[in-house]
Amino acid sequence: MLPFSVQLQDGTPVSDQILLAVRKALLTGQMKAGDPFPSVRSLSQELRISPTTAHKVVLQLKDAGWLNSRPGIGMVVTVPAQPELAERLAQITPDCRALLKEAAELNLTLNQVIDHLKSL
Amino acid sequence: MIRIENLHKRFRRTEAVAGLSLNVPEGQVTAFLGPNGAGKSTTIKCLLNLQRPDQGCATVLGTDSRQLGPAQFTQLGYVSENMELPLWMTVKQFLDYCRPLYPRWDTAFERHLLAQFDLPLATKLKDLSRGMRMKAALLSSLAYRPKLVVLDEPFSGLDPLVRDEFIRGLLELTEQEGWTVFVSSHDIEEVQRLADRIAIINRGKLALDETSESLQARFRAVQIVLPDGADLPAELPIDWLHAEQAGRTLRFIASRHQNEAQLAAALRETLTATSTPDIRPMSLREIFIALARAYRLEGQ
Repeated sequence: MLPFSVQLQDGTPVSDQILLAVRKALLTGQMKAGDPFPSVRSLSQELRISPTTAHKVVLQLKDAGWLNSRPGIGMVVTVPAQPELAERLAQITPDCRALLKEAAELNLTLNQVIDHLKSL
Repeated sequence: MIRIENLHKRFRRTEAVAGLSLNVPEGQVTAFLGPNGAGKSTTIKCLLNLQRPDQGCATVLGTDSRQLGPAQFTQLGYVSENMELPLWMTVKQFLDYCRPLYPRWDTAFERHLLAQFDLPLATKLKDLSRGMRMKAALLSSLAYRPKLVVLDEPFSGLDPLVRDEFIRGLLELTEQEGWTVFVSSHDIEEVQRLADRIAIINRGKLALDETSESLQARFRAVQIVLPDGADLPAELPIDWLHAEQAGRTLRFIASRHQNEAQLAAALRETLTATSTPDIRPMSLREIFIALARAYRLEGQ
C-alpha cells in the first residue's frame, strides 16, 4: 500500500498525476516530514507503472526538495514547516483556471466570481 | 537491446513485415502496437530466430538473431499467447525441467513468484486455465532474471485480475539494472500505463516510435464554436486529424500541439474563430485510436 492516495486517470501523463497526488498528501498532512517514502520498486508495483516513470517521479520530488535520501532507510519525506505560498497556490492553479474558463463561458465577471467565492 | 533493420518477411502472397526498422532501447518498457495482422508476431518470431527474415536483419542482445544461442537465451525471457508448453507436465515438473537450463535461475525468486501467482504445483499445465498457464509461462521466463523480456500479446484473453497479477509479476524484476521489456499488443489499454515508449507497426512498416510522454504532449482534442455564418475552409491544416462539424461546433484532434497560444493563433487564422476553444489532453488509448483511423484512411 502507498502512503498517499492516487487514482490514476487516463489523459494526463502518469508521472504528473503522481507528483500532484504526492504534493497534495504532503500539503494536507497525509504524509509528514520524516516519513519513509516508497521505493521506485514499490511505486512501480503498486501503481503498475514502468520503473522508468517511478524513478522519474522520485527524482522530480527529490529535485523539488520534497525527498531526501537517508542511507539505510531510503527516501524520506522532507517538508518545509509551512510550504511556500507559491507552492500551495500552484496546487490549486488548474482548478482556478477551469473555474475562470467556466465563469467566462457563463459571462460572469471576475468580481462576481470573487464575491461568490467569498460568500461560500 | 533490440535493433531491427529493414526487416522483410513474406508468407506466400502476403508481405507480413515490409521493411521494418526499429530500435528498442535498454532500460525501458517499449509497447509494440498495431492492429491484428500488422506484422507484430512475425517480427517477434524473427527476433527470436523462430522465423528467418527474407531480407534485413535484427540484432538482439548484441547478436544477430540468426545466431542466437544459449548465451543469449539465458538472458532472454519470452512469453507468447500461443507458445508451445509441455502440457503433459505438472507445474512442478515444468519448473524442474526449466531450472537446470538456466545457470542464473533464482530459486528464491521462483518461490516468491509462485506464491504471488498462486499456482498449483501438482496440476498439469493442460488442466490450468488460460490465465494460470500464462502465469506459469511468465514465471518460467522471469525466474532466471533475464535482461530482456519479450512478450507477444501476453494479455489477450486474460481476465482483468490475472492481467493485473501478470503485470505485477513482470514488475518484480524492476530492481534489475538495465531491465528491458518489449511487449506487443493490439490493444493499447493493456499497456498504456506501463509503456515508456510506443512503437506502432502498420502494414509491416514502422508507423510511429515515440515516448508516451511526447505523444501525450503533442495530441489534444479540440472543440470550438464557430462564428455565425462561418464556412470551413476546404483545406484544414494537415496536423488537424478527423475534423468533424456538428451544427456550429467543430471538433478535431490536434496532432502537433505545442501550446494554447499557438493553437489559438492557428484557429484564428484558419477559421476566423474568436471564441475560446475547449482543449483537452487525450489518453494514450484515444491517441492510438485516432492514429489507427488515420492509418486506415491513408491506406484507402
